[in-house]
Amino acid sequence: MKQAILEIESLRKYYGRHENQTKALDGISFKVLPGEFLGIMGASGSGKSTLLNCIATVTRPTDGHILMGGVEVGALKGSKLADYRGKEIGYLFQNFELLDNLTGQENILLPIGIHGVTEKEGNKRLRELAEYFEITDVMNKFPSQMSGGQKQRVATARALILSPQIILADEPTGALDSKNARMLMEKLAGLNRMQQSTILMVTHDSNAASFCSRILFIQDGVIFHELRRKVPNETQQLFYERILAVIAQLGGGSANVL
Amino acid sequence: MFFDLVRRNSKRNRRENGLFFSSLLAAIVAFYIILSLPNQAVMGFLKEMESGAVDRLLSLIPAFYAVTLFMLFFLIYFASRYQLERRSHELGMYLMMGMRRSKLFFMLLAEDLWSSLVSIFVGIPVAVLFSEVISLVTARVVGIGILGQQSTFSLSAVLWTMAGFLLIKLAAFLLLSGKFASTEIGTLLSATPEGAKKQRPAMLYRIALVIGALLLVTAYILAISGEAWYSLAAMGMTLSMGIAGTLLLFFGLRTVLDTLAKRQTGKSGLGVFTFRQLQENVIGQPISLAVSSLLILGALCCFGYGVSMTLYYGSDDTHTLDYTFQDAENPLVIPEKLKNLGLDDCFESLFDMRIGHILSEDDNEGEMLGMNEVLALIEQEPDSSVKSDLLGEYNNLNNPYIISLSGYNQLLAAAGEPPIMLNNNQAAIYGYAAFTNREKAELINRVLSQKPEVVVNGERLQLSGTLQTRNPVTDRSITLYFALIVPDETFDRLADKSYTHYWNAILSHQFVQENSGLMQAIQQVNQKLDTTGIHYESYLQSMGRQLFYQVSSSYLTLYLAVIFLIIANTVIGIQFLTQQRKTGRRYQTLVRLGSHYEALCLSAKHQIQWLFALPAVVAAVGSLFGVRALFSGFLSPDMAENIPGLYRIAFVILFLLCMVEYGYMLAVTRASSKYILTQMEANREE
Ligand SMILES: Nc1ncnc2c1ncn2[C@@H]1O[C@H](COP(=O)(O)OP(=O)(O)OP(=O)(O)O)[C@@H](O)[C@H]1O
Ligand SMILES: [Mg+2]
Repeated sequence: MKQAILEIESLRKYYGRHENQTKALDGISFKVLPGEFLGIMGASGSGKSTLLNCIATVTRPTDGHILMGGVEVGALKGSKLADYRGKEIGYLFQNFELLDNLTGQENILLPIGIHGVTEKEGNKRLRELAEYFEITDVMNKFPSQMSGGQKQRVATARALILSPQIILADEPTGALDSKNARMLMEKLAGLNRMQQSTILMVTHDSNAASFCSRILFIQDGVIFHELRRKVPNETQQLFYERILAVIAQLGGGSANVL
Repeated sequence: MFFDLVRRNSKRNRRENGLFFSSLLAAIVAFYIILSLPNQAVMGFLKEMESGAVDRLLSLIPAFYAVTLFMLFFLIYFASRYQLERRSHELGMYLMMGMRRSKLFFMLLAEDLWSSLVSIFVGIPVAVLFSEVISLVTARVVGIGILGQQSTFSLSAVLWTMAGFLLIKLAAFLLLSGKFASTEIGTLLSATPEGAKKQRPAMLYRIALVIGALLLVTAYILAISGEAWYSLAAMGMTLSMGIAGTLLLFFGLRTVLDTLAKRQTGKSGLGVFTFRQLQENVIGQPISLAVSSLLILGALCCFGYGVSMTLYYGSDDTHTLDYTFQDAENPLVIPEKLKNLGLDDCFESLFDMRIGHILSEDDNEGEMLGMNEVLALIEQEPDSSVKSDLLGEYNNLNNPYIISLSGYNQLLAAAGEPPIMLNNNQAAIYGYAAFTNREKAELINRVLSQKPEVVVNGERLQLSGTLQTRNPVTDRSITLYFALIVPDETFDRLADKSYTHYWNAILSHQFVQENSGLMQAIQQVNQKLDTTGIHYESYLQSMGRQLFYQVSSSYLTLYLAVIFLIIANTVIGIQFLTQQRKTGRRYQTLVRLGSHYEALCLSAKHQIQWLFALPAVVAAVGSLFGVRALFSGFLSPDMAENIPGLYRIAFVILFLLCMVEYGYMLAVTRASSKYILTQMEANREE
């Protein structure tokens, strides 16, 4: 069996104290293998963002371990922590978080400036990514001059510019229409397929989720179900229907809880 | 409960926003300083001698007060706006929690009043102390007695200060709360950047930049060449070109920053971010940056002009004589009279200077002095404005004076200069120092070196030696523009018998020291002289006149300069901090992308340095021309000669400006680092 890239061990995150304590995460454990495209689904408030934020070191967990490539993430400090945030993980935000006073190209190259990678390498990678994500013609535009889909693809290119170990995405299609969402998912899936990129994605969108190779369902801070796409036989459509079935069960019959 | 909240809020504001609080204090001190001018020791002293001029100056104070009021209003307005924006989230929360807008208004008003009172409470003592120190220092510097000087404290000044301060504070508050009332809660809650302002084609900005630079250069050329001073219209034109040029320059500056940002792309560090932030600042507020730049320019010109004037008036080294006594009826008893008063040992020397008109003989009236040879020699000189002026002057010498050589040589001896050697048919020329610059003196000396002859009452006298410019009497006993210095025998022969004896005296070194300075020594002697009927002129008058120009020009120009500087820098600092707050989210994103705290602070520091440097550098370049232009407009020929010396002063001033800017940058950088830390923590929670 392959060595896991990311290991989560009995992760807990409690907000507040005593009476009004929220157990956002209550003992979650799972592993992410290299080249996996893992989806995380669950009702609103089930702790998905909290989980991602813990991995991204934005939130400090109450208890438990997060190991990235065998290294305890919670113990990182100073420049190691900054390197981890910038180089080992690439983060995709629901609302893109592009700097709106920087052009597309400048946004994508931002991590290079921050982490001091050589210019040559960066420019080559920039060209590859721009071509792959079909954003070459917005390189010199400012975010206000781009469409939502273009913005998210620019943001994805920015997350990928330093070739991170794993991509964390929190509802990356949440602010996109279905056409743009589909295009983004195809690009992410293609990346996963061709370059064995590891992706961990939180989503509400069953359509988006059907691109994943495995899906974890979370409820009340614990993993409650797991779906694995049967490669190579199962079509995306079939997988999508299986997802819908789980959701229906999860929400007690109503499909719009997610 | 309510007032508790008010007090706590305003205390927190003061602690968190030092820049705001210091602006309030600066405003109070400024008001008081200008209002307490009449109480300054120097002014009290001068009032006794130059009361007319002092009164005219003091009558200008209300105007200065009004100008100060007007300018400080902008300072307070800007500072309060930032203060309100800083708290917009908090205020939005109050509204969300159901506080009525009217209640919120009263809360803010109460907070504002409370903070004004605290500022007054702190500021007035600071201002009084400040004005006291200024008074003591100037008194010490100019050497007037501090003894018996009253304090500068004035209740009416305090009251007017408070009135002015509260007035602008209230005006700013009402204006801002009007804006605030029309803002949606949602906008208050989310601090977002104002959104990209409408951008026009880049070409337009490039053109603006070029035209702005061209206008500025033209304005400089007009100002320096002196052309701007020919008429009011020319001056207005130069000024408007300068102002329009500065505005256009800052309007077009974005293209430069755009290029700089592009050059940083792909480089290590946050260079791109730094320049884009800066560009956004310049795009958002080109006018306030341009105005700041103009204010700094104004400050520099005021500084430069004030300091130079001060030094110029202070550097009168031609003074030798302390007293000139006159007695029309019985001039020869003066030494006797002084001895009787017991004043003879105060003086080091006492000598007679005889000055009179040339004896006019009826037959050759109108031709007392024949200057043809001299005029002919001047004609041979290359053409210049000095030459034509001199020709005009020498052509119109009617009824010139002559001075006896023995008295003049005693004056020269007292000044430590070699005596003039003349034989019985020779003469030397005296010219008024203030009307003689170096160029003119050189021309005259070239003419004199050819030993031309003049005809006085038909008698030929050969001109000899060099041009003499040492005033033969103290101050304004008599003002001679042109005179011939002749040997005593010649004087007796040529002078009208009604000539005047001017008894010149110089106070002894010891006496001056015993009375701690010339000014007080003269005052001491004057007191005794005033009890007798002796007619005298003392050096005190000219000292007083000089002192008046020195003090009033330096006081007012330095005052304006400081106010300009404070306003300009506060506006820039606040502009930066406001933008940083609005774009806090970007800093958070950078943290998520793995930026260090240090890197973010460094980027902010660079932004601050650029933002302060841009207007300051434009102003500094302008000031080199501006001060020069002021000189070509106002300077006496004497001062104009000393341009290199004045430029040395200008460099000292630029250095001081750098120090001030550095101080402001440091304060703003500190505030920015503090804010970035909160953004880091917002990302980490707990
Ligand atoms: N900073 C916080 N302080 C207190 N409670 C929090 C905080 N952040 C999240 N929570 C709580 O933790 C629980 C999980 O929140 P989380 O944001 O992880 O949910 P989510 O699964 O991402 O929901 P959604 O699908 O709506 O984004 C929720 O009950 C939420 O109220
Ligand atoms: Mg979420």
